Amino acid sequence: MSAEQTRARILEAACELISEEGIDEVRIARVATRARVSTSLVHHYFSTREELLTGALMLSFDLAAEERFGSDAGRVRLDGSTHAEALALAIEQCLPDLGANEHEWVLWVELWLRAARDPELRPVSAQLYERYRGWLLSVMEAGVEAGEFRTDYPERVADLAVGLFDGLGLRVLLRDPGMDTHRARQVIAAALAPELGVQTRELMPAATPPEPTATR
Amino acid sequence: MSPRPNIDHIRRPQILAAAAEVIAERGIAATRVADVAGRAGTSTSAVLYWFGSKEELLAEALMWEDDLFYADVTERLAEGYSPAERLALLIEAASLGGGWTLWMELWSRALRDPQAAEARENGDLRWREAIAEVVRDGCESGDFEEVDPDQVALTLSALLDGLAVQVTLGDSEVTAARMNQIGRTMAERLVSCQVPESPSRWLAPA
Repeated sequence: MSAEQTRARILEAACELISEEGIDEVRIARVATRARVSTSLVHHYFSTREELLTGALMLSFDLAAEERFGSDAGRVRLDGSTHAEALALAIEQCLPDLGANEHEWVLWVELWLRAARDPELRPVSAQLYERYRGWLLSVMEAGVEAGEFRTDYPERVADLAVGLFDGLGLRVLLRDPGMDTHRARQVIAAALAPELGVQTRELMPAATPPEPTATR
Repeated sequence: MSPRPNIDHIRRPQILAAAAEVIAERGIAATRVADVAGRAGTSTSAVLYWFGSKEELLAEALMWEDDLFYADVTERLAEGYSPAERLALLIEAASLGGGWTLWMELWSRALRDPQAAEARENGDLRWREAIAEVVRDGCESGDFEEVDPDQVALTLSALLDGLAVQVTLGDSEVTAARMNQIGRTMAERLVSCQVPESPSRWLAPA
C-alpha cells in the first residue's frame, strides 16, 4: 500500500468513527484498529488527534463538494432543463437523503460543534460555507442572467437558501416527526420561489404528490 | 450522605451557569464534574448532589439557559408592541443568542441518544410555539394576512437555526446583523406585513 493510500485509509476510518460515535469520542487507537494499521503509523501521518480529525472532516467535505458543486452552475443544469429545474436539483442535493448522504450530513453537524468550540477550525468552516454559498449564488445568477429568475439581491437569496438547508436538513437528519425530506423541499421551494419570481411548484421535483393541507 | 448545609439551593443556578460555560468551551466529553465545580466555586460532591451525571448536567444547563432567554424575551414582549414588532424582537433575540453552542452539542448528541433527541424536540417546540403565538395574535388583530401560524413558525425557526450556525462559527458574511436582516425579510414574506427593525435596536441594520 502506498503512503497516500495508507493516509486515505486512516482518514476514511476516522470519518466512519466520527459519524458513528461523535467527534468527541474518537480515539487514535480506535482509528488505527478500524484502518487495520498500528497506532504509531497513525501518529506518523498525523502528529495530533486534532490534526487527524480536521483532516478527516476536510477530506469528507472535499469529496462531497467535488461531487455536488463540480465546477460551476452548469454542472447541475442538464441540457435543455430550466434554471428552476437546476435549482430544484440543487435543493435535492443539499438536503439529507436518509441512507445515501446521511453520513456526510452527520459529519457536517459534527463540524459545526467542533468549529463552535475551536476557533482554529473556523477558517475551515468559513471556507466550506463560502464555497457552498458561492455555488448557490452561481445557480441563482445564471437564472437571473437568463431572465428566468427576478431578484435584485441574489446574494441574500443564496444566504437564505443555505440557512434553510442547514436548519431543515438538521431536522430531517434527526428524524423530527414534523419534517421529512419531501416536506423540507416544499418549505424551501415555498420560501425561495417568491424571492426569485417563480412558482413554488417550479422548484419542486417533477411528479411530486400534492401538498398536504395539515401542517403538523 | 453527610448532612447538607441548607444554603445549597443557592448554588444550583451558579452550578448551572458554570456548567453552561464549561460545556460550551470544551464539549461535554472533555468536561469533568470537577471543572464545573471549580468554575462555580463549589465542591464536586455539591455538583453531584444536584446532578447525577454529566448528561443530566448538559440537559439542565441547556434548559436553564433557555429559561433565561425566554424570561428576557417575555419581559420585553410585554411592553405593548405590535405583533410585527414582537416578531422582530424574537428574530433579533435569536440572532444575538449566545446559547447556540450548547444547542449544537445537543444536536450532535441527539443523532445517537434518544433522550437528547427528545430534549432537542421539546426545546424546538417551545421556540416554535413562541413564534406561533405572535403570529396568531397578528392574524387576529388583522396586522398579518391569514396564515397558518405553525407553518410560519416552522419555516422561520428552521431558518434561524440554520443561520445561527454560521453566526456562531464567526462567519464574516453571515453575521448576527445579516441573520437578523434575512430573518426579518423572510418573516415579512411569510406574514405579508412589514416587519420593522426591532424596537430594542441592538443590531444595527446590515
